[in-house]
Amino acid sequence: MIDYKGANFDIVLKRYDVAAQNQETPESVAKKMLPADPIFKKVAEEVLYMRFKTVGPVVAEALKERKPLDVINNGLVSGMEVVAKLYADHIYYLPEIMMAAKTMEIGIALAEKQIPGGRETKGLVVMHAAEGDPHDIGKNIAAVMLRSSGYTVTDMGKDVAVDDVVDEVVKSKPFLVTGTALMTTTMTAFPRVAKKLVEKGINVPLMAAGGAVNRDFAESFDLGIYSEKAPQTPPIADRIVKGADWKQVREDWDDIVGGI
Amino acid sequence: MAAKRFTKQAYASADEMVFGSSKSPVSYGFGIKAGAGRVIPELNYGPRPGSEKDPARLKKEYVDYISKDAILRAVTLGFPDLQLETEWVSQMGQTKMAQPVVEGQKAICEKYHEEYGINLAVRHTVPDQREAEEGIRVGMNGKHAYPEALFNAAEVACENGADVLSCETMGGKELSDYATTNGDIVAFLFGVGYLGSMDMEYVWSEFCNICKKNKVIAGGDTNCAGANTSMFMAGGFLDNDVQRTYSAVTRAISAARTMVANECGATGPDKDCGYEGPIIKSITGMPAAQEGKNCQCAHADLQGNLMAQVCDLWSNESVEYHPEFGGSSVQCWLGALGYEVSLMNTAAACGKDKELRDLYMISDRFRGPEGHILAYDNAYEIGKAIAAEGNNIYLRAKAAGLTAAKIIKRSNDAKELQLTAKQADVLADMIKQLEALPSEEDKFVEYCVKQYKDVPNFCMKNYGL
Repeated sequence: MIDYKGANFDIVLKRYDVAAQNQETPESVAKKMLPADPIFKKVAEEVLYMRFKTVGPVVAEALKERKPLDVINNGLVSGMEVVAKLYADHIYYLPEIMMAAKTMEIGIALAEKQIPGGRETKGLVVMHAAEGDPHDIGKNIAAVMLRSSGYTVTDMGKDVAVDDVVDEVVKSKPFLVTGTALMTTTMTAFPRVAKKLVEKGINVPLMAAGGAVNRDFAESFDLGIYSEKAPQTPPIADRIVKGADWKQVREDWDDIVGGI
Repeated sequence: MAAKRFTKQAYASADEMVFGSSKSPVSYGFGIKAGAGRVIPELNYGPRPGSEKDPARLKKEYVDYISKDAILRAVTLGFPDLQLETEWVSQMGQTKMAQPVVEGQKAICEKYHEEYGINLAVRHTVPDQREAEEGIRVGMNGKHAYPEALFNAAEVACENGADVLSCETMGGKELSDYATTNGDIVAFLFGVGYLGSMDMEYVWSEFCNICKKNKVIAGGDTNCAGANTSMFMAGGFLDNDVQRTYSAVTRAISAARTMVANECGATGPDKDCGYEGPIIKSITGMPAAQEGKNCQCAHADLQGNLMAQVCDLWSNESVEYHPEFGGSSVQCWLGALGYEVSLMNTAAACGKDKELRDLYMISDRFRGPEGHILAYDNAYEIGKAIAAEGNNIYLRAKAAGLTAAKIIKRSNDAKELQLTAKQADVLADMIKQLEALPSEEDKFVEYCVKQYKDVPNFCMKNYGL
């Protein structure tokens, strides 16, 4: 092998990832963000530190002292908000998001049992991976992120026929439909879904995403909006819930996704 | 045919490995000789959206536009060899869509081989659309009958003109997706290293029978569904959803799985997107197709130069057919590919191939842990660990992962390979987890079946268990 010892690699490579490391820790960020109330704080810490094996008993204890909706919003959701901040700051990564979300969902399920009629959802999203496309990891991650942001998700799975998507939308009336595709030949299903929805007079935003999809394609057909990556999905959903239609989302897209 | 396990490496030392030469060259198509002393450019492409609507349009796209454009550009630039790779779009699962394309590409290769003497061949990579929830073995009565469609596609390809058959099989994906999103290396080992190896044996035993019957080269596979998913999610320096130390270890594990195709009779060249290729080549000695710097049309990665180090075919991964200033996209990317191959072959012709190999490798050796473990000396070390446990698919996959993890740690400790604190934490945790696993296969399986019983769509029946 050629001797490379002593070669100046500074002219070859810059390790931006090493240089950009965040010196903060989960503990230091949590200190600034966790609720002051000791009961809510304890619940939030279960989510923050992904303790899915013990979140049940901790939430059960909290429910003896606090109202279930408060345990959810001031404890579990507060913990998830810290997790989201840690993720945005590159201190936590995807596995932590997934485990924290799982922990939060266990806690929410317990607390919800004590709320007559269940907890109010922010809205229903129908998700699928395109017909002929078996790749759905991005959809699955986005589904977790939507659920942990308070949305209800109907996950239709992968390789879902165009007509099945349309039928589900007609039946369940979501405020947002999402589709993912890894291949350019399967993403063509999205304009077909959109066309059939328009023909039925349904004006629901259809989010097109996935490796093959770009913003230009997603905005090339009526109803189409774009998401580049899973973490962008909840803020886009939030904007739609606040009243933006698909045309407005296109207009505001850069502002909505910001630095995500 | 039962898999014949590799328990020794084909090469006596890492330094023996070089691009363009393999221990077991393979000849096929119209004059192509893979691994026989020179690197072959392999061009892959995707049809424009909409061309999949009917058989005539699809054939025209693949044959009259893509293949013709590429071959004529190769002749224009004086390239002696060209391998085309058609990765079937899902619609080609229907025979009426696939057959005209396969026949047409064979015919156009023959025409231009006769006209100009250019060496040509076509690799057909059939789509694996099997879904764990429907059952991934023949006769499991899934709604779409995807296992039956997979083998039918292989028959259609081989009966109608394929020179090389390949596939990107999906066995174990339900677990590898779970593993990667949750950062669980043991789940990846179980899904890809163990169950994935079983599925490879199931699929490739039949593929090799089909190839033998039709006198077609059984090329090989790739763990695109597993290790590439983790590599792409780990991304570059602005991404980091998945740690690159995790991604590197999944790559090593995937080598123990992808080489099962060769153990079932595949002779190579294996699939370009199998970045595990250098490890596998060190064991099998068979020609390896690879991709890197010249596949930026499809994706970016952190080992663009390094991956050329020991390749036998050099690929662009895939480019959608569309116009560029310099011609069609396939012509432009073939130009980039072909000139890179020309540089490699010039180095070989001048006796400087090992120097160029080293320069390719050194340029990316410290760009990240994924490339680091694939540097040919490290790949050879991982190959050695796999071969030492060659008869046991669990132990060899575990050995691959653990060896890769320890190589990264060693280089980080020596202050050669930089890691972020998070990458280092994840690495330490993986070493701890892998070292804690039992040395008995049955205990490992018992543990994993219990541990991962709730992973969506996981079903042992899919693996004949």
